Amino acid sequence: MMHSLIQLSIAVLLLPLLSFVVLIFFNRRLPRGGDFVGLGLLGTSLAISLYIFWNVIVQHYDPAFSVAWNFTWLDFGNVPGVGPLQIKMGIVIDNLTAIMLAMVNLISFLVHLYSTGYMHGEKYYGRFFAYLGIFTFSMFGIVLSDNLFSIYIFWELVGLSSYLLIGFYFHKDSAADAQKKAFLTNRIGDIGMWLGILILYSQFHTFGYQEIFDHIKNGDFHMSQAWLTAAGVLLFMGCVGKSAQFPLHVWLPDAMEGPTPVSALIHAATMVAAGVYFVGRIFVILTPDALHVIAFIGAFTAFMAATIAITQHDIKRVLAYSTVSQLGYMVLGLGVGAYSAALFHLLTHAFFKACLFLGSGAIIHAMHHEQDMRWMGGLYKKMPWTFATFMTATLALAGLPLTSGFLSKDAILAGALGFASVEGGGIFYLIPALGFGAAVLTAFYMGRQIWLVFFGESRTHLKPAEEHGHDAHAAHGHDDHHHEVHEVAWNMRLPLVVLATLSVFIVFSPDPLDGGKGWFMHLIQTPATVVASTGAAHEGAGLHVPEAGKLLAEAHTDTQHVEAAASHEAEGHGPVFADPRQAEIAHMTHENHYTAIKLSSIMVVIGIGMALIFYVFRFIDPDKTAQAIRPLYLYSFNKWYWDEIYDATFIKGSILISKILAWFDTNIVDGIVNGVATIFRKFAFANGSFDKYVVDGLVNFTAFTVQTTGAVFRKVQTGKVQTYLVMVVVAVLGYFAFYLVHLMK
Amino acid sequence: MLSLIVFLPIIAGLIILAVPSSQKQIIRIVSLLAALGQGVLAVLIWRQYDPTMAGIVAASGGSPFGSFQMIEKIPWISLDLGSFGPLNIEYFLGVDGISITMVLLTALISAIGVLSSWTIQKQVKGYFILYNLLATAMMGCFVALDFFLFYVFWELMLLPMYFLIGIWGGPNREYAAIKFFLYTLFGSVFMLLVMIGLYFSVIDPLTGHHTFSLVAMADQANYIKGAILGPDSVTWRYAAFIVLFVGFAIKVPMFPFHTWLPDAHVEAPTPISVILAGVLLKLGTYGMMRINFPLFPEVFQAGMYVIGVFGAINIIYGAFCALAQQDLKKMVAYSSISHMGYVLLGLAAANSEGMLGALYQMFNHGTITAMLFLLVGVIYDRAHSRQIDKFGGLASYMPVYTGFVTVAWFASLGLPGLSGFISEAFVFVGAFREEVTRPIAIVSVLGIVFGAAYLLWSLQRMFLGKRKPDALYDLEVDAHGHEHIHFHDWKGKLDLDARELTMLIPLGIIVIALGIYPMPVMGLLTTSINKLVQVLAPVAMSAVH
Repeated sequence: MMHSLIQLSIAVLLLPLLSFVVLIFFNRRLPRGGDFVGLGLLGTSLAISLYIFWNVIVQHYDPAFSVAWNFTWLDFGNVPGVGPLQIKMGIVIDNLTAIMLAMVNLISFLVHLYSTGYMHGEKYYGRFFAYLGIFTFSMFGIVLSDNLFSIYIFWELVGLSSYLLIGFYFHKDSAADAQKKAFLTNRIGDIGMWLGILILYSQFHTFGYQEIFDHIKNGDFHMSQAWLTAAGVLLFMGCVGKSAQFPLHVWLPDAMEGPTPVSALIHAATMVAAGVYFVGRIFVILTPDALHVIAFIGAFTAFMAATIAITQHDIKRVLAYSTVSQLGYMVLGLGVGAYSAALFHLLTHAFFKACLFLGSGAIIHAMHHEQDMRWMGGLYKKMPWTFATFMTATLALAGLPLTSGFLSKDAILAGALGFASVEGGGIFYLIPALGFGAAVLTAFYMGRQIWLVFFGESRTHLKPAEEHGHDAHAAHGHDDHHHEVHEVAWNMRLPLVVLATLSVFIVFSPDPLDGGKGWFMHLIQTPATVVASTGAAHEGAGLHVPEAGKLLAEAHTDTQHVEAAASHEAEGHGPVFADPRQAEIAHMTHENHYTAIKLSSIMVVIGIGMALIFYVFRFIDPDKTAQAIRPLYLYSFNKWYWDEIYDATFIKGSILISKILAWFDTNIVDGIVNGVATIFRKFAFANGSFDKYVVDGLVNFTAFTVQTTGAVFRKVQTGKVQTYLVMVVVAVLGYFAFYLVHLMK
Repeated sequence: MLSLIVFLPIIAGLIILAVPSSQKQIIRIVSLLAALGQGVLAVLIWRQYDPTMAGIVAASGGSPFGSFQMIEKIPWISLDLGSFGPLNIEYFLGVDGISITMVLLTALISAIGVLSSWTIQKQVKGYFILYNLLATAMMGCFVALDFFLFYVFWELMLLPMYFLIGIWGGPNREYAAIKFFLYTLFGSVFMLLVMIGLYFSVIDPLTGHHTFSLVAMADQANYIKGAILGPDSVTWRYAAFIVLFVGFAIKVPMFPFHTWLPDAHVEAPTPISVILAGVLLKLGTYGMMRINFPLFPEVFQAGMYVIGVFGAINIIYGAFCALAQQDLKKMVAYSSISHMGYVLLGLAAANSEGMLGALYQMFNHGTITAMLFLLVGVIYDRAHSRQIDKFGGLASYMPVYTGFVTVAWFASLGLPGLSGFISEAFVFVGAFREEVTRPIAIVSVLGIVFGAAYLLWSLQRMFLGKRKPDALYDLEVDAHGHEHIHFHDWKGKLDLDARELTMLIPLGIIVIALGIYPMPVMGLLTTSINKLVQVLAPVAMSAVH
């Protein structure tokens, strides 16, 4: 019997697909491009999602809640060497699923609503809603999947919808380039993810999460521990692609070529967070080594992207790099073991970043497709609603107290500090250091953005004439750049208000300083790892390190820690872990909570202070500073030159290899074929010649000889009796002459 | 039933022979009816087929025909060869999971090919006679269970194919036709030798005589000790395996024997390209699965790694070559080489997942590549060129065409939700599961990225962006300010017309449906594939007798 929640979730999954199917075929025949179909179906599925959320989160309020259902998708029969083999597809609904489902559905619905205003008058207006439908369907698929195979399917399908939506203005070459780049970069991540899936499948003959976890827990993984680490890192590669982590982050800023509602939905709130969600799903199989890799990549990405964001001019590019940076935080959080904090940040970030993107969309819309912050300014009076919501979300992003972002970011940073102290400091302190560094930069670039966009005087008139029309939005005429700027209509304003409201601390926790007291951290708790503890890992790697084992044993039995953990549990801060490393980290994270609050508050103040110094009070002129540190400025402005590096190596390299191989194919492989053919032809020709001149020549010679002889003798046979008589006479005379000569001898 | 599906096209060909050549429409309709008849029969065979029966080889103690279905077996050629004993060649047809998939594919592609041939104007009568002959030969190959009969059908395919490329092809058609013909003939000469060797090495347990029956040959117990290809004749068995493999590999086509394919495709008319890529290439891998591997399982075991490496080379080398092509059709041809590499890789894994993936890939490649070539044909009809850089911005002007291209291109690059993904996925699953082929699988995943690269790049250059200044069509702006394009000497509909849609829609539906739920086709294969994997399991030759 299928659980009613499962039935409802299937409806949620399929409604957006229905929207896609209807709109892709009939958008031109329906009034208003059929936008009401998308809106209606998404609204229905939103109602169901919210019911599921209410049922699971509010009514059950149980950290261990989970219902699952699956069906046999492929039946391979009785496979030799394996036995009966079936590939199942299914759905699992737990707290995380219910939260993600509601979040994705809410933002998707708001973006649908917003798009009825923002995309109004577009040539392919109806098709836009169709694409949003298939995106939402695929995203729900990722969230609901209970196995690696189906998540991979939906993973690539969101890649497809992202491709279609980035390239929505496909007649623009920049958009067509960006969509291709996004798809291919993601595919590089995906092949890693796919190999990770293959490693796990090759061991267990199943793709199901729970079955894989159980097998690993039971020690059925028969390859070395290094392979398990490899599996974890490879699966994480999927996240590196989709969540735009270094080194595959380059596609996300370019993806801003898509319409702004798409940037909000896909490239800020939901799809890019899917990578983090996925790593969260497989968190329990990650070995400590794999987690270290994840932590360093996340920390580096968070910092690097923030350094780029501070110099960009395009309002959406700043936000895009900010997204990369914030995703880095989430990945960092997972890497250091702050599982619930990372997923908490995923949720809070989704709301405030969607709000920022939709706000920037409102600004771009009002400014007639001006995206360059240098030509904005003074908008707060003209667009009060946009300003208020944008400001709220900015505060959340910068991580100021009383916002949701403060709660989640602080929890991650506390986790990073705890992790570094457990791992023994040194190089591991780089992770929290980069995290706090990024926090300063975040506050700075957001302060800069707010000031440039909303305050000061309007600088529209300062825009150099030759730049006019360069960033033209093709479908809209904009003959007159100097229309009065107005606040946007209700259908674009309402989503902003809803999202800004969801960026306030009270939604998530009653305590503005501690997210741990809220419902999220209660329901989403760090799951216990299924990987044998580090001691075993060292053995697995062939290195028995007694000291490490002893230390861990001490840590495990250390009464202080056990007590601490027990009190920690009593305070409602999550479970006690059997795994000593996890227990240590959880404990130290708790210890470092207030340190993190203090430090991060200081960082935010420094960042905002710097923004004030540079842009508000202008104690220091930013342009002169940029001149003074020009190489650094250019390094940041040109995004650390990653695009150029990749272009020079991978892209040019691939094209070069392809040209060489194509040449090889035509000239060498086919050359040999043709060469062999030529040799045979030559041989055949020679053979033919031999045949013609020698074999046939002999035949002909014989014939010739006979012929000539015959010709001579033919002359003799004239058919005239007189001639014959003469010949007879001559012959007889000859005979007698001969005879006479003979006689005379 | 099987005889009917095989010979129906030839009957149509004979009828056409009687139709005056000026009656082009009648000729076309007769061919179409034959193809549709084949389709109906294929569906009937599909409905009757029992997927729980394995086929592949005669089950010990069971029916002498194994668990093959719809068997037709009558003596065909019987000669007394004196001291050699009687020569028995049988007319022996039957299907199992491997062949029924290909029967369905062949019927489908043949019918699509007839529709696609509607625009052929030159010597219609001759064209369709040859076309029908080809259809019979292809179908015959897939249902023949007597090696001699298989060989007859195999050779019979060459003749019409040679003329169809050589007469109705492009400018360089004669070169391409001869290359195709000689290359394939080269392979089949060796096949003939091996076939004779096998005949004298195998005894049919039913009659006690030598036999050409593939069912008997697939059972190692039927080989005579001491015979040339008997169990103890290791060297000869290796040699026989290799030459047979080369013969089939040419057809696949496997690197380095692949260069006939791009030439043949570029020169062949659209329907023949569709047949060539859709069905003919599969005969190579089908031959491996039906003949080459199960007859020499121990050699196959030894050669798995090498076959896998060639598969990987096909995948990656094909993808890189495709990336460099300027001619769209040539790009699609190289993409076929790349995608057939997945089949080789799956076969090399020799486990159920890999082989199932391989066979499913054969079916999916047939449908997807048929779509690709049809779509290439559509643009070639209009522009008389296939130079990728001579287009640009077509998405704005031909939206329906662009929609189909997007589906086909994404199916080809293995997008989940479309059929190609599932087969490629299980090829990788299978290849990765075996330690022998694991490193090859790891390298081959690069094909996923480069496959996407050439397809997306061509998609961008032809369909996205704006019309290029030197494009092959003019841009016109009407009174309402809407932009239209106009191909120079194209009188028909700009976007897809009804006939083109009739061909593309069924293929599109199949590609999507089998991508979501593969069991309708995959369910036919599993029992046979599991059996085949068992047959191919390591065989110690001494243990056979």
